Amino acid sequence: MYTQYIYVNENINPKDGPGESGLFNRIAVLRAERGVTRQQLADALQVNYQTIGFLERGDYSPSLKLAFGLSEFFGLPVEAIFSRKPFQPLSEQVYGGRSRRDHAS
Amino acid sequence: MRAELMLMGRRWDMAPQTHRRTLVVLIYAALALAMTGLWLVDRWRVTGVYMIFATILINRTLLGGYNFGGLIKPFSGKAPNRGVDPPPFLVLGLRLYRPEPEENAYRNDERESQQRDHAHYNAYQGLTLGLVLVWLLADWQANAPKLLGWLPGGPAVYLYGLTLAVVVVSQTLPQAILLWTEPDMEEPDLVEMGMAGLS
Repeated sequence: MYTQYIYVNENINPKDGPGESGLFNRIAVLRAERGVTRQQLADALQVNYQTIGFLERGDYSPSLKLAFGLSEFFGLPVEAIFSRKPFQPLSEQVYGGRSRRDHAS
Repeated sequence: MRAELMLMGRRWDMAPQTHRRTLVVLIYAALALAMTGLWLVDRWRVTGVYMIFATILINRTLLGGYNFGGLIKPFSGKAPNRGVDPPPFLVLGLRLYRPEPEENAYRNDERESQQRDHAHYNAYQGLTLGLVLVWLLADWQANAPKLLGWLPGGPAVYLYGLTLAVVVVSQTLPQAILLWTEPDMEEPDLVEMGMAGLS
């Protein structure tokens, strides 16, 4: 289970490369957050579940149609899902760079 | 691409890349053996056409790409016409994989279509070389027969053999490239487990 967790988050780690596509994405995080399996997402987008794996690893660059399909599915703008630069972790984006002590006060 | 091969009533796991590569090597070894064997029988005079039949059978049962069976979905991305149902021998005798007539089982998504086109491009590069050899042999046979005079049995039989080999390879190479290059396929069950671990 633990290795799978690491694997799912691989593409949002700024230290990692963006994969063959040259794009970073948050598909794995969004999917995990909403409790959607790859198969369910694949069925909704009418693609093979393997393609979702390729997208998550950044090994496949989606067409505009598929990117907008993902955007509609997650209810987020495309730029919240794909980026040419590494994403900041969501927690950092929401709470900024504040330390634990700041939150406590 | 399908992750398992249904043959002789058994499911063969083809998700690991090594399994698919082994299959490709075995298929081409068998084809090479058949070519050599048929050359020994009658230098392909009558038996050459059997190579075409063998290729069609291999595509229908193992490789796919053109019809209902095999690992690769039809390149056309469409379900085969049910009007041309396979002979009962193929379905009952070999107990092949034969999905229901719904488009999803046959449709290639955009990544698969891209892979398909890339495989055809790569196959085209190799086949061009084969066609150049066919042309060269035909040219020498027609215009400079002395150059090929040393070949036992005459150049015509080699020209026929080379042409036959190019036809066989042209019908199987794109599928073989796809099977060879696709990385290990993830099992849907493992994906579900991963999700369970996250929630």
